[in-house]
Amino acid sequence: MAYVLQTEDLTCIYGEGTPLRTVALDKINIGIEQGELLAVIGQTGSGKSSLIQHFNGILRPASGRVLLNGRDIWADKKNIRQVRFQVGLCFQYPEYQLFEETVAKDIAFGPRNMGLSDAEIDDRVHEAARYVGLTQAHLDASPFDLSGGEKRRAAIAGVIAMRPQVLILDEPTAGLDPSGRDTILGFIRAYRQETGATVIIVSHSMEDVAAIATRVLVVHQGKIAMSGTVEEVFSRADELVAIGLNVPQVTRVFTELNRRGFHVPKNVYTVEQAGNILLQLLHTGEGKA
Amino acid sequence: MIKDITLGQFFPGRSIVHRLDPRTKVLLTMALIVVVFFCQNIFSLLLMIVFVAAVNLISHIPLRVVMKSVKPILIIVIFTAVLNLLYTDDGRVLISFWIIKITDQGIETAVFMAIRIMLLIIASSLLTYTTSPTQLTDALERLMSPLKAIKVPVHSIAMMMTIALRFIPTLVEEIERIMNAQKARGADMESGNLIKRAKALVPVLIPLFISSFRRAGDLAFAMECRCYDGDHGRTRMQTMKFAWRDLGALAAVCILIAGIILLNIFVPDLI
Repeated sequence: MAYVLQTEDLTCIYGEGTPLRTVALDKINIGIEQGELLAVIGQTGSGKSSLIQHFNGILRPASGRVLLNGRDIWADKKNIRQVRFQVGLCFQYPEYQLFEETVAKDIAFGPRNMGLSDAEIDDRVHEAARYVGLTQAHLDASPFDLSGGEKRRAAIAGVIAMRPQVLILDEPTAGLDPSGRDTILGFIRAYRQETGATVIIVSHSMEDVAAIATRVLVVHQGKIAMSGTVEEVFSRADELVAIGLNVPQVTRVFTELNRRGFHVPKNVYTVEQAGNILLQLLHTGEGKA
Repeated sequence: MIKDITLGQFFPGRSIVHRLDPRTKVLLTMALIVVVFFCQNIFSLLLMIVFVAAVNLISHIPLRVVMKSVKPILIIVIFTAVLNLLYTDDGRVLISFWIIKITDQGIETAVFMAIRIMLLIIASSLLTYTTSPTQLTDALERLMSPLKAIKVPVHSIAMMMTIALRFIPTLVEEIERIMNAQKARGADMESGNLIKRAKALVPVLIPLFISSFRRAGDLAFAMECRCYDGDHGRTRMQTMKFAWRDLGALAAVCILIAGIILLNIFVPDLI
């Protein structure tokens, strides 16, 4: 199976040659398949942000390679911008990167850098706005007049408008209210389904991860600690806790219920799943130990 | 890249120089700067070099760090030296071709000037290496306090300096973050001519300005929440005390000045 993105012994070192030298990534080997929705989780400082910044060439590996569609992204240094158009990276708190007079112009920044025609740019701006749920009124407004959640969506649209083959989002829901969070997770899911793009999400929210990921990657101290489906990763709750992470809250509730003798499964990861199981129990009247 | 800019280049330590009263250090540094220009012959200049080197040694500042402070002004040093070399007409002519005439006096002035500027930088960096920015602004506030009598807002000036220094690293970090975000959208900041590059900075500068204003607002709010009311009834965490070591430092610099004056007067100019 050919990977969209692949790393070979990817190593990242900060402060080389100083007393503060730290190895942020230690010989990482991973492959990401086309169409995956990969969630990267890990403690603060585990190296997950460094990892994704290597995927689009913002950071250059100290050693090892990053392959995009089988080609080393650093093979030709001049081509790195092309890589960035194909691997769209949206940083944490992207709303602080907005700068144009109108939201439409800001979303057009990426496509314009790609050297597209005006018609094509316009097309992409509207398409991206549709994905993130911004209206024409939003597009004509100044980005600084939008609400926090709208700003965030406008910034993400700026990356989507490049139509990247791989879309990377660093904590896209951080600091948002529950409805803002749901909106963002909703359109990420829709975007992936409609375009077949590969999506990588960095998140601290186990609930978000459980809700949308097709695969979970756990990074710990610059190494891959685990990799597998939501079920595979969250069934190893003890190991996750040991490295400062956790399983979704609802999973903890069900594990505890199970321990206290209720006949409920332990592998429950989303609230919907939990709701269904509880309803079933209520109807059948079983479950009591 | 941007991180190499070291402003407020405090180099923490416990040496006697570090522990001097910052006010003493500010005053003595000023004295040293003036004294550098008193050195009129090779001997007084040598004495000055020895003194500055000794203070550097006592404060345990590594040579590498000292060199780093000299590096950015090297161009200015060379430029002044070359100018002095070419524009001094006095003295014996050593080399002369076309319109260029190099005299022994010219070489002397050029070398003296270069050494003086370097001493100037090394001596004043000593102050910033051994004094934390907070101590430094505190000292300036105290030293300028007589100006309050003529309604100069000394405290506000000092507070502004402290805040400015405090936010330099934050802003550097911020710039790097915004630059990366725009690069991820294909912004090209490394190529093109001057105008193109200046234009490429707009997507970085606007978000930077906006976040700076936001930060300023937040900071003002946080200060107000803690009842900051300017200078009125404000006490300090670290009170400054004039100690014996300050008197010692003062004495050392006085002896240095005396030595330089004596050398200037009694040792005949050899060249």
